[in-house]
Amino acid sequence: MENFKATKITVKGRVQGVGFRPFIFFIAEKYAICGTVQNNMDGVKIIAEGEVSSVAAFVEVIKTKPPRIARIDQIKVEEISFNNFNSFTIIESERGGKSSLVIPVDTAVCPECLAEMEDPENFRYQYPFINCTQCGPRYTIIRELPYDRPYTTMSDFLMCEDCKKEYDDPTNRRHHAQPIACPKCGPTVTLSSIKGEFLSTGKKAIDETIKYIKSGKIVAIKGIGGYHLACDAMDEDVVQRLRQRKKRPNRPLAIMAGTVTAVEKVASFCQKEIELLHSPEAPIVVLKKKENDTLPEAVAPGMNTIGVFLPYTPLHKLLFLNSELDLIIMTSANPSGLPMLHKDDEAFTYLDGIADHILSSNREIEHPIDDSVVQLVNDEVHFFRRARGYVPDPIFTERDVNGVIALGPQQKNTFTFGRYDQLFIGPHIGDMGSVEVTNHYLNEFLHLEKWMGVNRVVVAHDMHPQYETTKLAQEMKASVIIPVQHHHAHHVACMEDNLLKEPCFGLILDGTGYGEDGNIWGFELLYGDAISFKRMGHLAYYPLPGGEKAVKEPWRNAVGLIISQFGIEEGKSVSATLFPEKQREIEIIATMIDKKINSPLAGTCGRLFDAVSAMVRTCTVSTYDGEAAIRLSELVSEEEVIDEYYPFELIVKDGIVQISLKNMLKEVIKEIGQGKEAKQISLKFHETIVQICTSLLSEATKQNPFLPKKVVLSGGSFHNRYLLTKLVKALKEKDFQVFTHKKVPCSDGGISLGQLIIASEKNN
Amino acid sequence: MSEKISLAHGDGGELAHQLIQEVFVSAFEHHEHARLDAALLHVPSNKLAISTDSFVIKPVFFPGGNIGKLAIVGTVNDIAVSGAEPLYMTVGFILEEGFLIKDLKEIVTAMAEEAKKANVKIVAGDTKVVERGSVDGIFINTTGVGVIKEENFLPRKIKEGDSVIISGTIGDHGVAILSARGELGLLTDLESDCACLNRLIDDIMSASNKVKIMRDPTRGGVATTLVEICEDFKVAIEIREDDLPIKPEVEGACDLLGFEPLYLANEGKLLVIVAKEDEAKVLEVMKKHELGIDATSIGHVVEQGEGKLFLKMTLGSRRRLNRLSGIQLPRIC
Ligand SMILES: [Fe+3]
Ligand SMILES: [Mg+2]
Ligand SMILES: [Zn+2]
Ligand SMILES: [Zn+2]
Repeated sequence: MENFKATKITVKGRVQGVGFRPFIFFIAEKYAICGTVQNNMDGVKIIAEGEVSSVAAFVEVIKTKPPRIARIDQIKVEEISFNNFNSFTIIESERGGKSSLVIPVDTAVCPECLAEMEDPENFRYQYPFINCTQCGPRYTIIRELPYDRPYTTMSDFLMCEDCKKEYDDPTNRRHHAQPIACPKCGPTVTLSSIKGEFLSTGKKAIDETIKYIKSGKIVAIKGIGGYHLACDAMDEDVVQRLRQRKKRPNRPLAIMAGTVTAVEKVASFCQKEIELLHSPEAPIVVLKKKENDTLPEAVAPGMNTIGVFLPYTPLHKLLFLNSELDLIIMTSANPSGLPMLHKDDEAFTYLDGIADHILSSNREIEHPIDDSVVQLVNDEVHFFRRARGYVPDPIFTERDVNGVIALGPQQKNTFTFGRYDQLFIGPHIGDMGSVEVTNHYLNEFLHLEKWMGVNRVVVAHDMHPQYETTKLAQEMKASVIIPVQHHHAHHVACMEDNLLKEPCFGLILDGTGYGEDGNIWGFELLYGDAISFKRMGHLAYYPLPGGEKAVKEPWRNAVGLIISQFGIEEGKSVSATLFPEKQREIEIIATMIDKKINSPLAGTCGRLFDAVSAMVRTCTVSTYDGEAAIRLSELVSEEEVIDEYYPFELIVKDGIVQISLKNMLKEVIKEIGQGKEAKQISLKFHETIVQICTSLLSEATKQNPFLPKKVVLSGGSFHNRYLLTKLVKALKEKDFQVFTHKKVPCSDGGISLGQLIIASEKNN
Repeated sequence: MSEKISLAHGDGGELAHQLIQEVFVSAFEHHEHARLDAALLHVPSNKLAISTDSFVIKPVFFPGGNIGKLAIVGTVNDIAVSGAEPLYMTVGFILEEGFLIKDLKEIVTAMAEEAKKANVKIVAGDTKVVERGSVDGIFINTTGVGVIKEENFLPRKIKEGDSVIISGTIGDHGVAILSARGELGLLTDLESDCACLNRLIDDIMSASNKVKIMRDPTRGGVATTLVEICEDFKVAIEIREDDLPIKPEVEGACDLLGFEPLYLANEGKLLVIVAKEDEAKVLEVMKKHELGIDATSIGHVVEQGEGKLFLKMTLGSRRRLNRLSGIQLPRIC
């Protein structure tokens, strides 16, 4: 037996429900390995006996060529004594271990399935629901765990003999593919008018959908996570009509492109971006718009980027095959304030007046989920929104976070569960401002909590007294409830994203968050760890007259800033030169500020960007979250280099550095008066923020020379490519170790991760 | 008589006597009670409704009323919405040294007029004068006594489907006061809706015996009042954004200031929760009354969400409304 070896191989990661056991079975046969493979609560356990070189080759293949959607986080090989197996078998799951059981994620259609779908000889030719163990819906169709067909929405369909044969055959790539289906036994698509009249079904429905899209109609299409609204992206009229009907004047719309070649028409990209587009997660990738592109401006007004994704369901793919369509607007169908529509009856109710037709299907969506949105910055994946394809895949931590739950913030909400060393970040929920979204939140939250078997002990929430999640926290049954300061959560989210534990600096450039002093924070230099933090510096406060109104209408915020710096009388006249159409309102706003009527104090980066955006008249009223700041940032490119910036002062008050912008403001106003272009002012302003931040950190390290020169960058403003790129560079040049977000968004979508770690550490 | 209130007006001596005779007694006409230390009253029922409230409004005079009128209205309405008929009142004044007697007279006259209109007798009173700076001009406390007939006992059991009616436009008082402060420049010349509701309530109570509860949505506005009803009676209410009666001036002022009309105070508005089947009947009698011309149904009691108030938005989604909580801090990130 010298040339032979017996080993126990344990594999952890995303290895269940991804065709891992059939894959192991297949390579075991290939290398003449005997033994067993089984799922257990920790992952997959393999007993492999065979020639030493075969076992080595076997392990190598597991490491290097695992199934497309598997993700191996850890593989452990131990030598054990022989059992003398004479075959290789898949054996019954074992109910032991610390439960790292995961819920599979929804995955883009795989190349093998696509090839079959396009093969006229195949019995699934042009079948819009073709899938296998490597692709198709998962999370969205699960009613209960374990992930098994009877507990999914596919239980409504009885497998035909052909499908059953594949499903049962361990050597088939559809072995235990729970959503397996074919034209004979599986779901079908149906095209209806928006009033609900049946038009057609099957292939005819798809052909007619194509015809309608090509003739300038808006069709609602049911996908994996919910309904999208689709129309021809190159047809300016229909795009405008979609905007009017959806009451979305400016928010950029995403485009689904038939192929990468089609993407080339409108955007430029690098190899890594192509890989992202083609990845099994198939996110929307934000790309640079091509100069002189032919894309109608209405698709993404004022933006120099465009969100693009590739067809990720077989149905999407069929829309492009032989249709001569290559760019389709594919925007999620969520009427104002509601979650993504996913139920057919709701779609007909809410889309009446928005869509012309509905392409539906009888495969139910149990858990709606939005498309994920990512961008490549500094050659790293940067999340805007973590949802379909990534959720509910766990991320691993080096702490024990069992039983800790974080409810997340008010907007761009996600929640997070802790189970031992795993963190489950829930799907992007969005704005918690409506009852429907709160109900959707609770539905996803309670399901995941149950599925994970998390025993709720500690609940973390944002300190803001008026956040919906704060109310939810108070209503929840938990022995410990821990409020967390918003920017501390950002800070720690970024620390955890980089597995940092020791105290470090956190530069948090953000929209708005409730501060410990009751004011609105959002331009913060913090120092600390999960247990505690110290505020080292911040932007000097100024009033936001009208509160939320000033967030939605940045010109008010600009007036607030100007009056706070120049005093009432001068402030009023300066404001009136910038906003001559608002004379009357400016008078009243000045009094509101003077008498402290509905004018909370704020010092935030997002609001500062808004104010400048309004002052240069790029955007005086935001029609979607952060529009003013985003459009100001879209005027500049991170490739530009500028060596001038506006003057600013750092003033130390009570040991805290305050950033004063009076002189910057004077210069900006002077330059506006001189007719300087918005683009130039924006660039200089961006550079000023970079300079302020580096000075702030230099000042802090000068005053505290023993603190490590380590800084995490977090907060929504770091979606700004110029800020992110230039600050990382500038801080590195000053010998700082700089850490940015990797697995969660820098904006409020990452807050729950930070809340959870803080609550967990504070509770220990 | 002097022009301004001095400390001596409150010391129980000659000046105080003069003030009481010239200002209060002549206005309130309660000669017979003035001879005893307490008012002795007859009531035609053994179930009393008693309510007390203090008024500290700024400015003291505003379009549509003054602090005195408000002091009567506030207490009369608190008694009336409980289903009782307000009969008697006591008034207490705390005056700042230097307050103009002319102004005091105007205030007291308004009180007398309003009490007369509401058919309420002012039966006892008290006046104190404090040093300059100790109060802001004038504070008034009123206490009211009313009687309630057995058949009018409220609340009655609130049920799913019950209608929520408002007697008229919301937020008028709040905006009128803001404008009257003059700090904001002239926002609008809108008058406060300040008025006694007991006559209107009489008519409603005689028209329907299915009124479940009534409230006057004063401080905290319609939203806060309804949240309190939802919590106190463990019901859920949904109101419809589209159906809320709001004057354009109020809408405009709110737009400017970033306020929500649903949270602005009203001083002459009535919220009625009534069984669905009596909704039309109640609306009809309300509309006949000058204080109820704009009465309209704004919502109903729903099944799901015990203790919560919802606002059905024009665009289809629903928002949960909470009670007014100090300053509204932006939640937008
Ligand atoms: Fe934030
Ligand atoms: Mg009262
Ligand atoms: Zn496949
Ligand atoms: Zn089949």
